[in-house]
Amino acid sequence: MGRRVVRETRLDQAFPMGNSDGTPARGLVVEVLDVTKAYTGGGGVRALDGVSVGFEAGSFCAVMGPSGSGKSTLLHCAAGLDRPDSGRVLLAGQDIGGLREPRLTEARRQRVGFVFQSYNLMESLSVWHNILLPQRLAGVRPDQGWAREVIRRVGLTGREDDRPGRLSGGQRQRVALARALASRPEVIFADEPTGALDLSTGREVLGLLREAVDQTGTTIVMVTHDPAAAAWADRAVFLADGRIVAELADPTAEKVAAQMMAVTVR
Amino acid sequence: MIRLALGTLRQHRGAYAGTFFAALLAVALLVGGGLLLASVLTAKPPANRFAAAPIVVAGDRDVTLEKVTTKQKKDKSKVKRKVKSERLTGAGSLPVDLAGRLGDLPGVAAAVADVAFPVQASTPDGRPLRGADGAPVIGHGWASAALTPYLLRGGAAPGRGEVVIDADLAQRSGSTVGGRLLVTTKTGVHTMVVSGVAAPAGRNGLPAQGALFVADGEVATVSGLPGPTAVAMLTRPGTDPVALRAAVGQVAGDHEVLTGADRVRADLPGALPDYIGPISIFGFVIGITAFAAVFVLTGTVTLGVRQRLRELALLRTAGATPGQLRRLLGVESLLLAGAAALPGAPLGVLFAHLVAARFQELGAVPAQFVVRTNVLVIVAAAAAGMVVTFVGARVAGRRAVRIAPTQALAETADAPTGGLAPRIAAAVTTTAGAVALLVFVPLDGPLGMGMSFVSSALLLCTVAALGPLLVRALTTPVSRLVGVGGPTGWLAGLVSRAEPRRVAAIAVPLVLMFAINATMLLNSALLGQLAQREQQDRTAAATAQVTAPGGLPLDTVERLVALDGVTGAAATLPTRAIVEQGGKPEDFASQGLLIAGTEAALDLDLRAGTLPGPGAFAASAYVAGQYGWRVGDDVQVWLADGHRVDLRLAGVYARARGFGDLVLPAELVAAHDPRGLVGTVGLRYRGDVPDRIAASWPGLRLAPTLAAAPANDAQNQQGAWELMVVISLGFTAIAVVNTFAIATAARRREFADLRLAGATTGQLHRLVDREAMITVAVGLLLGALVTAIVVGAFSAAQDGTVRVVVDAGTYAGMLGGVAALGLVAGAVPARVLLRRRGLPALGDRR
Repeated sequence: MGRRVVRETRLDQAFPMGNSDGTPARGLVVEVLDVTKAYTGGGGVRALDGVSVGFEAGSFCAVMGPSGSGKSTLLHCAAGLDRPDSGRVLLAGQDIGGLREPRLTEARRQRVGFVFQSYNLMESLSVWHNILLPQRLAGVRPDQGWAREVIRRVGLTGREDDRPGRLSGGQRQRVALARALASRPEVIFADEPTGALDLSTGREVLGLLREAVDQTGTTIVMVTHDPAAAAWADRAVFLADGRIVAELADPTAEKVAAQMMAVTVR
Repeated sequence: MIRLALGTLRQHRGAYAGTFFAALLAVALLVGGGLLLASVLTAKPPANRFAAAPIVVAGDRDVTLEKVTTKQKKDKSKVKRKVKSERLTGAGSLPVDLAGRLGDLPGVAAAVADVAFPVQASTPDGRPLRGADGAPVIGHGWASAALTPYLLRGGAAPGRGEVVIDADLAQRSGSTVGGRLLVTTKTGVHTMVVSGVAAPAGRNGLPAQGALFVADGEVATVSGLPGPTAVAMLTRPGTDPVALRAAVGQVAGDHEVLTGADRVRADLPGALPDYIGPISIFGFVIGITAFAAVFVLTGTVTLGVRQRLRELALLRTAGATPGQLRRLLGVESLLLAGAAALPGAPLGVLFAHLVAARFQELGAVPAQFVVRTNVLVIVAAAAAGMVVTFVGARVAGRRAVRIAPTQALAETADAPTGGLAPRIAAAVTTTAGAVALLVFVPLDGPLGMGMSFVSSALLLCTVAALGPLLVRALTTPVSRLVGVGGPTGWLAGLVSRAEPRRVAAIAVPLVLMFAINATMLLNSALLGQLAQREQQDRTAAATAQVTAPGGLPLDTVERLVALDGVTGAAATLPTRAIVEQGGKPEDFASQGLLIAGTEAALDLDLRAGTLPGPGAFAASAYVAGQYGWRVGDDVQVWLADGHRVDLRLAGVYARARGFGDLVLPAELVAAHDPRGLVGTVGLRYRGDVPDRIAASWPGLRLAPTLAAAPANDAQNQQGAWELMVVISLGFTAIAVVNTFAIATAARRREFADLRLAGATTGQLHRLVDREAMITVAVGLLLGALVTAIVVGAFSAAQDGTVRVVVDAGTYAGMLGGVAALGLVAGAVPARVLLRRRGLPALGDRR
């Protein structure tokens, strides 16, 4: 552990994810303000209880917490997949709380990419079509050159015409990551992206996420319960019972594990 | 194990509900069709006119032929006897002296010579007398009244020129003692006075037949019959029935002796509700519904099993062997079908009652028909539904159960695809069967409609067997066409091409719906068109057609055609006649024909020979071909009363539709058909003939052409046919909707993934609509192909012209209707599914 790509060089100046002077944008891409969310099932448990958190542009943040701490709910609310009961969510400065369908979907499609534990690929489409799908749905002309570059980076060159059903779990997650990257979102939300993968495959995927942040300046928010995975992030936020209870900068697996213990025992 | 499977029921609500629903409807249809057929097969005559006479001797009521074949085998010779019979439409008469001889037997109080003959009776102001539900009026001698018995309620027994009618007829026609009636039989129109009103004990008349009694001395003159149609015996008390029966048998010789419930068979065939037509109608109903039900049910079960592949794989990981899974699918399908049978059976009973009522309204089924709820039939139908579901599940699961356990972990479970060999073998077999039927069965004969239905059913099985292959071939071009424009069209094309099995599963019920119903509708429309055209061509030469409400006696016609100024006439008497081939008697619609004058008033399109004179007959090209007759051949013909004549084939004609296959001398038909009345007279004339006809016979109608109502019989068939199409349309439509719903319900996850990939709900709606368009287009293409093959062959067999569309309106209606249903059925379930949650994905990851 502890291996870290040093972030002193920005290679991908061609991809305008940063400011015009080439330095990464330091503003907040996602801002969650005093968000509460309760689920009617289970006696009205508050999944989120007044959470406020911001995610900086070009950063890699891990959201940690034990099962039922509300970390997935936070991600869903932040990504506009779910509506908070109260509070506000700003996505690239836009308040998505007031957006109705299909505007919400359009906003998400434009600004957000997803990587989920269960991949969520279209089985009936080839790798290539899966990767271009969000752009097609957005009605924009897909940037095929960039798509090919992304495929090269995730190491799937040559598998473009395969169906996801013929790929391994790690390969599928790479397709999901390539899809998220291909539309150049302002932020990628990853929900337990290594949850279904074995250790080394998981590590490769985390490496690709890290690389996306470092080389492309992508912002990544990753929900995980695995301290080793959190160690790849720049920052770790800890949730318990729907509240943010701790935060770590430059987390290592050991520090995260210790914090998790503390949080869980609480 | 089964508890395990039922535990997953919630997960697969769609598939289970769909299978349950399909099984329910299938059981309902099978129960309904089974009950109708069983009821009509076991239908009992509503009343026995011979109730007071324990023993009856009857003249011939059928033509029975025995075929004896001797097989020589080494030193043994084997004699095989085959007895085949065909029912007569009339009644054979008995020797006049038979009643007297039977009356002398010990124990016989009286032997009554019973005469039964159809009469057309009307009041002087022209109102026809009919019994309840339009039952016919049957004439008898007054002596027959004692056999039921009919007792006088008022007035007196009939004398010369008088009649007694039953109380029901009197009430319906408003006739009273002293009133007058016009009684038309083949001997002419008789004006008679009502001398009395009679009724059986406790009721106004017998159901299904009205009774009109004439004086015994006048029976022969009014009926035109040479002897009694039955002799019924009233016995003395204390007579040994067995001994008497033996004694009667000795005297009666070859004639049938009837006792008990069989006695009704001694009545005039026309006086009893006829269940022959309904048997074939209900046979057809159960044929169509059973095919559609089994076809749809197996498809649904297969779809349901395929949607649960992941669950099956999970069970495999949990340690289930393929054998256990096979049993699981079997038991589960039995439980499901068993549960579906519970509401299905009462629904089927309801269905049977509704259909029977509608058929009775159409007149295709006797008004006296009652649907009897037969528990055995219900159980058998429910069992059949369960067996079909069971077999369907086992067949669908035969490969699925061998699914690798690792598939449970994979994103989508995919059953090992079996070899193409069994599919192709099944397709080749069914196609060969269909082709053989279309080529070798004479489709222009009485079996044409039934066999074209069977061949279209076989071709549908081909489509089902080759479904994914055919769909794959068609989806590519179709989806290119439909998929033009926009991301949803593009995506719909890709998804459809990627899922040929799903597209096939939905398209096949659409193919079924179009092909089965279009074939039935178009073939029957074609027959209607051809019959109408032939009718026009036959009668085009005549200047006018003369008809009378109940028919015209032959002697009236003879005087009519002899009128000055009539240059040509053709009078036809509808009847049925029986001919024989290989020991098998078969009856055909026939006409007695009377030709007069020098100009032809009827054009039968003679292909050989001439129109028949005395001692000769003509046959349709179809029958002549079937029986291998040539002009000049002598042929045995049985007339309606069973009288056998040898006639020489004088001519072969082509225009037989809506007319008949045999043309016999009018005199012969008039003498041997119980009704024996002329239906229409085609006339060619000069001058004021119509005025003189109107003056002499005020009751006759004279029209330039014949209204397109060939025979009441054909109309009933047409109505019955249309009702069958309605039933089959309804069921297949439900199948289409059901299949779409099952297939869509299983796509929740796929829709969720698309939503996550950035699709708006509106885009998903458009995607599903486009996919439905592709599926519907594929289904209609295949359906049109099957229809074109069957209808084309049927049409070619009729008159050598290959037609595919036949009736543009019907065809377009079927295309549009099926397409609209398919599109709606595709659109609605997806909208329901998508409305339930904004983003259905996140809740149920698994």
